[in-house]
Order: sequence, then C-alpha cells, then structure tokens
Amino acid sequence: MAAGPYNYSYIFKYIIIGDMGVGKSCLLHQFTEKKFMADCPHTIGVEFGTRIIEVSGQKIKLQIWDTAGQERFRAVTRSYYRGAAGALMVYDITRRSTYNHLSSWLTDARNLTNPNTVIFLIGNKSDLDAQRDVTYEEAKAFADENGLTFLECSAKTGENVEDAFLETARKIYQNIQDGSLDLNQADSGVQPKQLPRTTPAGGGDAKQCNC
Amino acid sequence: MAAVAEAPGTGVPLPAQVQANPITKKLNKILDSKIETDQELLDALETVSPFLTENTLQRRRNLRRDLEQRSLETNIRFLNSFRKVRDAVEGVTKDVDEMSKCCEAMTNRLRATKEQTRDLLNQTTSLQNQSKRVEKRAEIVTAFLGAFQLKPEEAKALRGTADGGIDRNFFPALNRVREIHADCKQLLRTSQHAAALEIMEKMAAAHEAAYELLYRWIQRECRLLNVDFVDLNPLLYQAFEAMQERPVLFKYSLDEYNTARRSHVVRAFIDALTRGGPGGVPKPIELLSHDPLRYVGDMLAWVHQAMASERETLQTLLKACKPEVLEEYVLPVLSHITEGLCRPFKVRVEQALSSENQPVALYRLSNLFTFYANTIRASLQEDAALIRSIEELKELTLNMFFSALNSSVQRMLEKIVPPDTDLLPVQGVHQILLMLRDVLESHDAALVTVTDKKENFTRIFATVLDPMLQTLLVSATQLSPLDVAVYMLNCLSSIYSVISLYQYTDDRLEMIKAQMEANEDVLVSEQATAILKRTGMIDLYSKAAAHQPKQGPLSAISGMEAPIISSALGKFDVFLAKPDSYQMQQCSYLTSAKLRASVQKRTIENVLAAYGILYAKLIEPANNYPQLPLKSFDQVRELLV
Repeated sequence: MAAGPYNYSYIFKYIIIGDMGVGKSCLLHQFTEKKFMADCPHTIGVEFGTRIIEVSGQKIKLQIWDTAGQERFRAVTRSYYRGAAGALMVYDITRRSTYNHLSSWLTDARNLTNPNTVIFLIGNKSDLDAQRDVTYEEAKAFADENGLTFLECSAKTGENVEDAFLETARKIYQNIQDGSLDLNQADSGVQPKQLPRTTPAGGGDAKQCNC
Repeated sequence: MAAVAEAPGTGVPLPAQVQANPITKKLNKILDSKIETDQELLDALETVSPFLTENTLQRRRNLRRDLEQRSLETNIRFLNSFRKVRDAVEGVTKDVDEMSKCCEAMTNRLRATKEQTRDLLNQTTSLQNQSKRVEKRAEIVTAFLGAFQLKPEEAKALRGTADGGIDRNFFPALNRVREIHADCKQLLRTSQHAAALEIMEKMAAAHEAAYELLYRWIQRECRLLNVDFVDLNPLLYQAFEAMQERPVLFKYSLDEYNTARRSHVVRAFIDALTRGGPGGVPKPIELLSHDPLRYVGDMLAWVHQAMASERETLQTLLKACKPEVLEEYVLPVLSHITEGLCRPFKVRVEQALSSENQPVALYRLSNLFTFYANTIRASLQEDAALIRSIEELKELTLNMFFSALNSSVQRMLEKIVPPDTDLLPVQGVHQILLMLRDVLESHDAALVTVTDKKENFTRIFATVLDPMLQTLLVSATQLSPLDVAVYMLNCLSSIYSVISLYQYTDDRLEMIKAQMEANEDVLVSEQATAILKRTGMIDLYSKAAAHQPKQGPLSAISGMEAPIISSALGKFDVFLAKPDSYQMQQCSYLTSAKLRASVQKRTIENVLAAYGILYAKLIEPANNYPQLPLKSFDQVRELLV
C-alpha cells in the first residue's frame, strides 16, 4: 500500500522570485523534471510545480510557485508571497543588473512573507563562468549581510539545483523542530500531516502506511 | 593246570575231552568267570551290600527272601507311581477331549458366523465403496464451495467491524465476491443452473451489502476531511477504487468529499481574509481592502493556490481509480469545492468596487479578473460557479471602467474651448490624451488574451476619441475652413503620436490617418488655389483644362489671349523666384514638420500639374499662340522641386 508519490508528512510552499530571464522557470523545471528547458517562454503570471523530497527521513512535498519576473506582473505575483515557507531569490551571475535588483526583491520578500520564511539566494547560470559579471565573493557577502543562505547553481547542468531546494527545506524543517514555526497558524506555508487519527476502521495500519 | 589256565587266555580251543566233561565245563566256567570284571555283578553286589549289614547265615539264607521282598516293594511303588501317571494321562485325555469338543463347537460357530457375515461383508464392501465415493464427492463439494463460497473470515471482513468500519481485508473479500459472481457465469454454462443462480444471488446480495457498508464508511470518513491538511486514510483510495463499479454511489461518495472540502476551503478563505498568518504576518487580506487592486489580487491568488492544493488532494484520493474516471471527475469536483468561495469573494469585491471610480484602477481590476479567469479555467469546468463569478466581476468592472472613462472624458470635454490663433490643440486635448495613455499603459499586455485586448482597445478608443473629435470639430466651427483643417491636423497628429505607441491600434490609426489626409487635402488645395489666384493663373488654368479642340484655337477664347497670358506668366515668374513667400500663414501653424513639408510638397505638385496642363495647351500649334515668354514644364519643375 506504500504509494510512493502520495506518501508525505508535510507540504512546504515555496516561491521563486527574481528578475526576468534569470532562469526561475528553468530552475523549477530542472528540479521537478531533472531536465533543462532550452527555450523557456516567459512565465505569464505564476506557474506551479511539485516534487516530494526527503528531509531527516521525513517525506515532504514541495509546492513551488514560480512567478513571472516581468515588472508588469508584479501586481499578480506579489499576492503569491503570502504564506510561503521558503523563498528562492534568483539572479543571473552574468547580468549585474539582476544582482543589483536583489535588494528590492528582498524587501518585497521580507514585507510580504512571514518572519520565519526561509529566504535562499541563488546565483543562476554558473555554467557561464566565462561571462561572469558578479563574483561569488560579492554575492556571498551580500547574502551573509542579509542572513541568507547562498549557492551558485546552473539550471542547465543541474549543478547545485537540488541542494538549493533541499537546503531550504532542511531549514524550514529545522524551524519546525525548533518550534519557531508554528504549524497551528494558517498561512505558515507548511501543512503538517495530522496526528494519526484513530479511525474506526484500519486505524492501526494507517499509521504504518500513510499513503 | 597251567595249560588249562592258559587255554581261555590264549583262546586256543580246548581239547575235546575237556569240553566233554560238564563238570569241567562248569568249573571252567566258574573259574573263567572273572568276578572283578563283571560290572553287572559288581553293581548287584553293591546294591545288596547296604542292607546286608552283617554277613550272617541267617542273613545269607534270608537274602533271597529279602531281595524278593524288596523287589515286591519296589514293584508296588512302581505300580503306585504308574497309577498316578495313568490318572494324570486320563485327566489330560479328558481335557483334550473337551477341548476338541470345544474346538468343534467353535468351528461350527465360526462356520455359522462365516455364513452369517458373508452378507455383512458384502454390505461392508459396498458401504466402503460408497463411502469412498462420498468422500470424493465431499472433496469436490469442498472444492466447489471453496471456489464458490466465501470463507468465514472473508464473510466477516465483508460485514465490517462492529461499529460499521472496514479493515484491509474488506477489499480482497469484495474482490472474491466479484470473482465468484463472475465464475458463476461460467457455471451457468454447465448443467448446474440452479446452484449457479443461487450462488449468484447470494453473491449479489453480499456485494450489495458490502457496497452499502462501504458507502456508509466513506460517508463517515469524508466527513472527517474538513480539516486543513488531509492525511488520507489509505483505505479511502481503495474504497474509491472499488466504488468505481457503482457510478451512482461513487458520485455520492465524491459528493461527501466535496461537501467536506468545500466547507473547509471556505473556512480557510475566511481565515486568510480575517486572521492572516501566524501572529498576523502576513496580514489578513482584508487589511488591504483600501487598495482594491491589491485586495482583489491577493484574494484571487489565494483562491488559485488553494485550488492547486485541492487538486492535488483530490488526485491523491482518486489515484487508484482509472484515468478516465479521474478525468471525468476532477474538474467537476474542483468546480464544486470552489463554489463556496464565490459568495464571500464576490461580496468583498463588490464592496471594494463600490468606492472605486478611477478608470485606470478599474481597468486594471478588469484585467486582473480576465487573467485569473483564464488561469483557472483549465482547472475547472467550463460553467463552474467560480469562473462565472469571476467573469461576472470582470464584466462588472469593465462596465464600470467604461462608464468611469466615459464620464471622465465628458467632464474633460466640457472644458474644451475654441483654439487660439496659434491653432494648437487646447489643454483639454492633452488632458484626455494623458488619461488615454494611462489607461493603455495600465493594460498588462500578457494578462489578457489578444481578442480581449483588441476588443477593449477598440471600445476605449470609441469612448475617448470619437466624442473628443466631435467636440473639437464643434469647438472649431467659428474658424475658417483652412484654420479648421490646420487645427484638426494638429489635434489628430497629437492623437496619432500617442496611440501609435500601442498595439492593436492599426484600425484606429488608419482612420486617423484618413482624417488627417482629408484635412491635408483641404490645406493643399486651398494653398494651391491661392497661389494660382495670386499669379492670375487660375482662370487660365480652368479655361485651358476645359478647352476642347473642336472649340477652335484656345487663343481665340476670351480671357486666353496672348497678352493676358504673358502678364500672368510674368506674375508666375515672380512666384517661381520666391515660392516660399507664397506659403499660407496657417501652414506654419502645423505642429508637425513632416506635415508641413508634405503639405508644401503636395501644393507644389498641384501647382506644377496645373502649369503642365496650361503649358501643353500653349505650345500646341493648333491653339495659334505667338511666341510667349514660356518656361518649359521641366524648367518650372526644376525651379520648384
């Protein structure tokens, strides 16, 4: 009865933000499909993807909302920050302007999410090292200054992509363990599995196979 | 003596005379007898010796009698002993006889019994055979029952637990029932109709009861699902899988699920609106109600996200079902679950809208609705209440937008005054165009579909531009046609420069262009006429253009005499020397340099064309003109262009 894809203990809500063309959709696609999408069209409004991962032996379903980077969609996309447990803030290491905008994205993220939201900084397109416009050290310093975790990734090669998503989940899970994230509140971005119900029928086995 | 003594020893037969004498014989015999070697004698002596204790005469005389006595005694003892033996033997004989009799009796009885048991044996054998047959049949029957009857534990599983629940054995048992029922159809093909029918009936009943139970159970389970995150009971997947067989019950079961989830979603929505996140961060959505765009946007985003989660939960619930079932039910169920959101959502949106009268804000709102209607359309049924609500709200905001736009335009048009002498567009025109630009700017290009956008733009232009142009025309009625043309051209080019920046304006631009051309034509023809008038060429031109060869030479026609023509040509030369000074003052009021140049160029062309016609007539020999101070057409063109 162990039905793999449906067997999970928590749902974490993520949001991916950042300038247009930094590869947000490609990161999502790489993470959910393990493939690189070469001709990724501009996202219209928001898109949605899921994947189940494992953190400390717990199966966790990630519900990831990929937002459009274009300014004209801000009116729509900013409504999706609400209740995100994790925010992946992406810039393009080959375009300094996308890095320069990070502080405004960060302000948005801080204002629109709850204080426990884990914000993760991703420098995408690390495969294009030759065209690099933002050094690792500089971005790392920015991340440290703002208390963000930072990784350079490549949606194309898949390098570090898993780590970014998993590390974020680990931090959220850590927050739950610490008790700093209160699951009883609505909009925390995390939906816990309920305590095992003592259903009249099959209550016992239900514990073993929570599929 | 020695010879005699030796004789027996040597074995040499004794002389006949020795033998002949009996005494000798006897003597010899006695002498020869060797007592010590005669064992018998020794034994006898030995026997006698014990009771012959003293060797007396008396004793010796009595020996014989004693011996006889003893012999007699011995015999008597013998006799006694033998008598006992004989008695014993007789006893034995008697016993044996009796035994023999007994045996005989037994043999007889055995024989009799044998006689009697033969029947029994036959009977037994037949019974044994029968029993074997019966056993075989029993085996077959057991196998049959095994194949066509539920095991006790299966029957128990089908009856459910005491409180109406089911356990994991329920579904295998249910499958068994189904199998048996199917097998019975096979059975019907054999001769076992009655049995098959009976079993089928029984199985059908069991099946029915099981489904009844299962439905009740699902009902109860589903009622527990009105919570935030559902950890679905694994048995539920199987329950829904099994329910697929009963479309009606399946639908009812889904209805239960629907109802539970719907009430949950509504509650969660209200929570998000009024309570917000942990510790009020993020803030409750209702706190944003002063900013309708943000407020509505957040509500719609919440709905969108809730729908994604609901879809996942539903897909999990139905994961064991057939794909076509999933396809059939996912959209209707989601439509139904989200139906509950319509009312709270609509009420709030309408409230927020009631205080909004800015066209730009209203237009953005309508675009937002259009975007979400398109975004969630794929996840719901075509006629889902939520989509209907959003569409209605979109229509509402769009109508509000157009009426707000209309009243804004009207308000601004009231302030439109006649133009100054500079013939530039008045302030009101710029105001309206500024608003138009704001509206068009606010259109988030990709938020709505192309058709929607085109339609909206057409309507917006109709609402803004048509009344404006009308008002402008009315406001300019006191001006001369030339002034009107210039003024309209100035206004139109302002409009053109604004809307040409946007998409889907081709039709409107074409229209404006046509209007501009019409005004330009007026300007060109006015100017060309004025030039021809000032140079005195106008009469010459019209007469030359109207002249037909059958009317005779042109020079004979009054007003076309050579001297008149000569003087006109003289004036025309003055024009040719300084064509710019002949330009009308109004043309310099044209704001667009391009337009100015174009008007100038076309005026020259017109004048040139007129000259061309006149020139052709003048040089034609049939028209009988003397030598005139004529410049050739090419020369004139050279000078003007």
